[in-house]
Amino acid sequence: MSWLDRQSFLGADSDTVLGARRVGIAGLGGGGSHVAQQFAHVGIGSFVLADPDAMEDTNLNRLVGGTRADVRRKTLKVDIAERVVKGIRRYAEVLKIADRWQTRGDLFKTCDVIVGGLDSVRAKDELEAFSRRHLIAYIDMGMDVHGAAGQHLIAGQVMLSSPGTPCLRCMGLVTDKLLEREAAKYGNAGGNPQVVWPNGVLASTAVGLAMQILTPWHPAPVETAFLEYDGNTGTITAGTRHAQSLGRPCPHYPDDERGDPGFDVRSPKPVEHAPARGLWARLSALLGLP
Amino acid sequence: MKTQIKFTRYLLDRARTDLRRPHAFAHERVGFFTAGAVTNGDMVLLLARSYAPVEDADYIYNPKVGATIGSDAMRKALQFAYRARSSLLHVHCHGGRGRPEFSGVDLDSGSEFVPGFFHAIPRMPHGMLVLSEDSATAKIRFDETKAGQYASGFTSVGAPLVKFGDRS
Repeated sequence: MSWLDRQSFLGADSDTVLGARRVGIAGLGGGGSHVAQQFAHVGIGSFVLADPDAMEDTNLNRLVGGTRADVRRKTLKVDIAERVVKGIRRYAEVLKIADRWQTRGDLFKTCDVIVGGLDSVRAKDELEAFSRRHLIAYIDMGMDVHGAAGQHLIAGQVMLSSPGTPCLRCMGLVTDKLLEREAAKYGNAGGNPQVVWPNGVLASTAVGLAMQILTPWHPAPVETAFLEYDGNTGTITAGTRHAQSLGRPCPHYPDDERGDPGFDVRSPKPVEHAPARGLWARLSALLGLP
Repeated sequence: MKTQIKFTRYLLDRARTDLRRPHAFAHERVGFFTAGAVTNGDMVLLLARSYAPVEDADYIYNPKVGATIGSDAMRKALQFAYRARSSLLHVHCHGGRGRPEFSGVDLDSGSEFVPGFFHAIPRMPHGMLVLSEDSATAKIRFDETKAGQYASGFTSVGAPLVKFGDRS
């Protein structure tokens, strides 16, 4: 009897498979904190979590696991996420980066899937480029509230960008115009309105896409997706730009750009050692422990 | 130094489909993967970039072995890899399921031609790879003068993501 018995339809050995998988989450705010919690519930064994920020009172309306005590103590978001993950899956390996994810790219290189809960277009663009260069599927989440009083529209999207499929630029989420507009604001995406329930819908959708990649449960899994969320009607539909970009080679990330362009086997650069996966993490996967 | 090799599912499927095609006289087909590389701790990740089949006309009749390819095939493969300064991986398929092993002939011939890859692209690791229908084995050299090391595992990136050929 395993704590994951109720999800055995995910695959005959899905407990072991998920226990051996590593996910990266960049940004542990409203979206990323939900994703971390759900990945722990499904039994992911190893996490790379990155966020430079500490809990503030304005995060209390949506950050899963965050408490008033965390606001008082200025608890780092990575520490809150670790607490949530280990509260569910005690022996999960949690590699924390209380900084921008770029400072520990060596950890993100080893992920099987990367999820971005990042606000700025520039940050999304950079994380996708990194994922493409290292042959890792990237799932991007974003939400916004548009309009004025009485006319608010909650909208969001979840995009799956796998190597060899349309990228965020192909699907119109990242454009030079948006990057320029953001740069004019000095890269500050601003304190956009955010609420917990759309974050939850988008995070669940992102985890659903990740589970199609990590387990063989789905008869026709997707490797690319652009799902648009309308929070006013409560619907998720396929984005029109996605259909237009299907079947066309992605011109933004050529296959020949995979890997480190400066790689030279004759003079290997000094590299940081990625921590080995813990003995406890492996034992707990074998024993079916959370 | 350990090596892991990653492919997109599309590229791996393309190679397997190509290598299954019968040839007029060769018993098996040969192709080449190119790959980029990154280091991670004591690990090198080879990230497959492209696949190029050996053209029909570049096989040499030799009933004693599965396939023999001529110098033109090697030259074209090196040109193919040279453009983007890629690793070059000679690949053929043994069919069947489970982790395949190189034959003695594979290892002997590989020890002759793989060092030559370093003359064209000395900065990258090179090697040889054998596929089955669901797994693979590879020997990778980091130096033309040193023996190859078995890759510790493979990943097919797609939906679902599949890991195979583990030797860690």
